[in-house]
Amino acid sequence: MKRLVIALAVMLACCLAATTVLAGGGGPPKNLVKGFFIKINPDNTAVFKKDVTGEEMILKLPEDIKPEDVPMNRKVLVTLKTIDHEITNEVKRISIMFINLPPSKVVALLVVGLIGGLLSGFIGSGGAFVLTPSMMSLGVPGAVAVASNMCHKFPKAMVGAYKRWKYGQADVKLGLVMAASAIIGVQIGIQIQKYILDHWGNAGSNLYVSLMFVIILVVVGTYVFYDAYKLSKGGKEAETTKLALALQKINLPPMIHFKQANIRISLWFTLPVGVATGMLAATIAVGGFIGVPGLIYVIGASAVVASATELVIAFVMGMWGSIQWGLSGLIDIRLTLLILAASLFGVQLGALGTTYVKDYMIKIVMGAVMLIVSVSRGAKIPGYLADLGLREPLAPQAVALYDAISFWALVTALGAAGIIITVAMIRGMLQAKAEERKKEAISHG
Amino acid sequence: MSTKLNEFDKNMMAAAFAEAGEHETARQMMDSGGGATAKKPKKNKGALVVKTLIFGAISLGMYYILFSNVDWVTTEYTKGGWHTVYPVGTALAFSFIHGAFASNFLSLIGIEPKGGH
Repeated sequence: MKRLVIALAVMLACCLAATTVLAGGGGPPKNLVKGFFIKINPDNTAVFKKDVTGEEMILKLPEDIKPEDVPMNRKVLVTLKTIDHEITNEVKRISIMFINLPPSKVVALLVVGLIGGLLSGFIGSGGAFVLTPSMMSLGVPGAVAVASNMCHKFPKAMVGAYKRWKYGQADVKLGLVMAASAIIGVQIGIQIQKYILDHWGNAGSNLYVSLMFVIILVVVGTYVFYDAYKLSKGGKEAETTKLALALQKINLPPMIHFKQANIRISLWFTLPVGVATGMLAATIAVGGFIGVPGLIYVIGASAVVASATELVIAFVMGMWGSIQWGLSGLIDIRLTLLILAASLFGVQLGALGTTYVKDYMIKIVMGAVMLIVSVSRGAKIPGYLADLGLREPLAPQAVALYDAISFWALVTALGAAGIIITVAMIRGMLQAKAEERKKEAISHG
Repeated sequence: MSTKLNEFDKNMMAAAFAEAGEHETARQMMDSGGGATAKKPKKNKGALVVKTLIFGAISLGMYYILFSNVDWVTTEYTKGGWHTVYPVGTALAFSFIHGAFASNFLSLIGIEPKGGH
């Protein structure tokens, strides 16, 4: 039975992935072309040779891009202007695909990778929300940053999931069932995004993403944080929520027994959590922010099992996403491997850190990160509202202030999480060593 | 499994001696077991150093090869279509090798999970 369910979950995931890849859902935007500029014409147009196919296109340069600014014979990503959702041949933006990597940028990637990995190993998700903006601030084009980050996410999640499975924390079956339903959620999320993009354009889409981000993160983050605070004060072990207990009692076939998580629940109740995880992943790129709390409060898993199981989901979804972005040839493997170099240490440190801390510590880190990150995204909302004409345009000083708030909130989230995890881990290790010494002293005495 | 059974047998024998009032014999039996497990980490440490060095060297070599052929790599890896196998496969291979190196290295410097899983 167990094998059958796992096989079914894997098959479902593969089928969905295959159909999505073939249908072309997700992945990079359609108005993005990759290739080389080979000639600039006097009439302010340029000959562009598409990568792989070798097809040549005549692209119109806008007034703000001077012919001498166009990088020649260097692989670039060109964003084309769209009018009424029709892609034109006018250039909107040109980005160099492979940034130069001086030692300072290499160090920056390693540091962000290490802390992102630590967070991922500890709370099961995170990293992506800070890695992508960090890479973009280093000058990496947005699409390449998303693709390279995605490609580093799934091997990292795989290593983290394996470690936590070894510690007896990850429920692989639950992870696969959730991942299969999350892929359905991603499809729904993409359709909603497309609908919003078609009706309200880029500014509308940005506003929707930011609003969703802030609302979900504030509501869920506050609850997780409050729950952790209560547990830390009372010193009690975490209890399964009433909602999860009630759902587990409903005998609605097919009932599935998840051995590691020690839960028997109907498939119909795991599905909404999985779908919501996928939808959030497609909307704000961090599905774990709903997946982990969903597993804890709706399904009834402990925080340790939930955060470990989320890594299994992250692996399946990350692999599927990487294949999609890889099909468009947008992964900069140098960035992927530099982040991996440090994040593989981070993810294992974070994973073994969970063996030293009490269950509520994971909730504290998760709640804190969610709340601080929501500030970062919230600071972007005034700008998007102005873009949509829903408020007066922002003064340049205000734009700079909001940008600074957004950036420093991300840095704070990452720094705070890194410090909390490290301190909790060191404290746990010292405590464990002291206990060991005590035991030795007793046995020798 | 068999070592666990042996350990179980030994513990039961020691308990039997202890119950019979032969505390010294029981303690000796337990100590001999303890001695064996105490020696184990030492033996493991040597293996751990070797493993860390091997995985570290392979990982470093892989990074060196990739970054010294960066022009070829960035061209071939971003051709799209079936070339997606390159970045996805490389990321997987690096995570196995470099992940094993990181794991062994952390154990070597004494950072291990609680209970020594």
